[in-house]
Amino acid sequence: MAGEGNDREVGYADGRVATVSSYIIEMEKVGKVFGADKRRVTALKEVDLRIPAGEFTVLIGPSGCGKSTLLYLVAGFERPTEGRILLDGSPITKPGPDRGFVFQEYALFPWRTVLGNVMFGLLRNGWSRRDARSHAMDYIRLVHLSGFEHAYPHTLSGGMKQRVGIARALAYDPKVLLMDEPFGALDAQTRKLMQQELIDIWQTTKRTVLFVTHSVIEAVYLADRIVVFTARPGTVKGSVPVDVPRPREYTEERYLDIRHSVLDLLEEEVMKGVRAQSESLTE
Amino acid sequence: MRRVGPRSWMSHAYSVAEFVLPFLIIAGLWELLVRAGAVTSPSFPAPSTILVKLWTLATGRGVLWKHLSESLYRLAVGYALSAGAGLLLGTLLAMQRTLREMFAPILSLLISVPTIAWVPVFLIILGLGDRTVIMAVFLGGFFAITYNTIRGIEMVDENHVRAARIMGASGPRLFAAVLLPGSLVSILTGLRLGIGYAWRALVGGEMLSAMISWGIGKMIYQARFWNDVVAMFVGLMIIGVSGLALDRGLLRWLERATIEKWGMLTEG
Repeated sequence: MAGEGNDREVGYADGRVATVSSYIIEMEKVGKVFGADKRRVTALKEVDLRIPAGEFTVLIGPSGCGKSTLLYLVAGFERPTEGRILLDGSPITKPGPDRGFVFQEYALFPWRTVLGNVMFGLLRNGWSRRDARSHAMDYIRLVHLSGFEHAYPHTLSGGMKQRVGIARALAYDPKVLLMDEPFGALDAQTRKLMQQELIDIWQTTKRTVLFVTHSVIEAVYLADRIVVFTARPGTVKGSVPVDVPRPREYTEERYLDIRHSVLDLLEEEVMKGVRAQSESLTE
Repeated sequence: MRRVGPRSWMSHAYSVAEFVLPFLIIAGLWELLVRAGAVTSPSFPAPSTILVKLWTLATGRGVLWKHLSESLYRLAVGYALSAGAGLLLGTLLAMQRTLREMFAPILSLLISVPTIAWVPVFLIILGLGDRTVIMAVFLGGFFAITYNTIRGIEMVDENHVRAARIMGASGPRLFAAVLLPGSLVSILTGLRLGIGYAWRALVGGEMLSAMISWGIGKMIYQARFWNDVVAMFVGLMIIGVSGLALDRGLLRWLERATIEKWGMLTEG
């Protein structure tokens, strides 16, 4: 795949010219198998995917296709059983603060206030308490939660909790933001609002985002590029660039076209998944 | 949500009244039955007789306070030891899988032995005095605290651990910042159960240890020699009220200041 648009050439002093990848994440033949022997489940198989720095990539696929598993591999929560994943050129071996993670069920620390949650990553990465505090305050403002700094998570609504989740994952300046169906637990109204705000935040912070969802509407609204996964074992079925200027309107014609092409790719896989399931039930 | 202000004060007073009322009713009935001559046995003294006895024991030469303070001293030492050892061992076993697998069967065997059954053994090993009672108190609290600490740490939300690790927390930091607060619901349950068991072991231990002459348990036991049923009832009352006060005063307060404030009792 050398020579693609995202590689750049670097000239050395001795006259050599090398091609350097500007992909922030590179997955090479990544596979993941859970369990052993008869209870083996192949979740992912031969996933090849490259994410350019600054891109908003959405992973979509039928349920159980392993898209969340792939996100966990990038996070370092799990290790791939095949292939490797490079983050900024070096293989991922464990979780670390060069990545931020936003969980579907928020996973905020209930024993810490909003401020305490957002400061957590900063305090673990060499910030003084004072600097961490003012920096966290900036991020709380960014997600429109000023005034709630000292509230405990259990007093907040779902949307507010996820804003804290986003601020917490961004505050310590990770290279990549990993989001695992972050708006899946929210009602439709809140969800739409959060999508708009996420795009605003992404445009201000210019971070690489890897976002998992099973909603096509959400994918087309958010993504620079949508990567469609096959049914289990999950692998990349196709990739759809979304070249619609932002802010996007759900009613634009181009928007609807892209939605249809993603749906077409997806539908085949959903049917395959359903068939595989009913076969395993009748066996 | 708990409100602050006159309403919460009112509802607090109401809940106290609600708690006390059943006791007042039973005591009133009992008093009536004795006064009416329906109960004549000296084994069932009227509540008023018990209160008068309580007054004479609590004032004057102050025997009651000596009994109570000796008991509380033994409880404090034994319980502090069991809380310390239980939290430490519980944490160790929760973090070290191989150790846990080795010790878990022993723990579940020992947990089903009533503490009081150990006392004769301690009497021989540790003598007939304070040390045996303190050991009984220690053992009474120890298992509940250890067991619930293990459970608590094992049941910490995996995503909390993941979130902390990706933000760069590991080792002792991860423990202090996530595993400990995350398991506090279960740990406090252990501490609460533990103080109940420790209090029971204390009273039993005091009764069985011959060289001890002070302590609430001892007070009841000694009253047997004088056929002083009234003093026995005073002792029972003190045991009940003190146990409740320890639970409500110490541990309930801790719960309010932590897991209740953090909403961990109602949602995750």
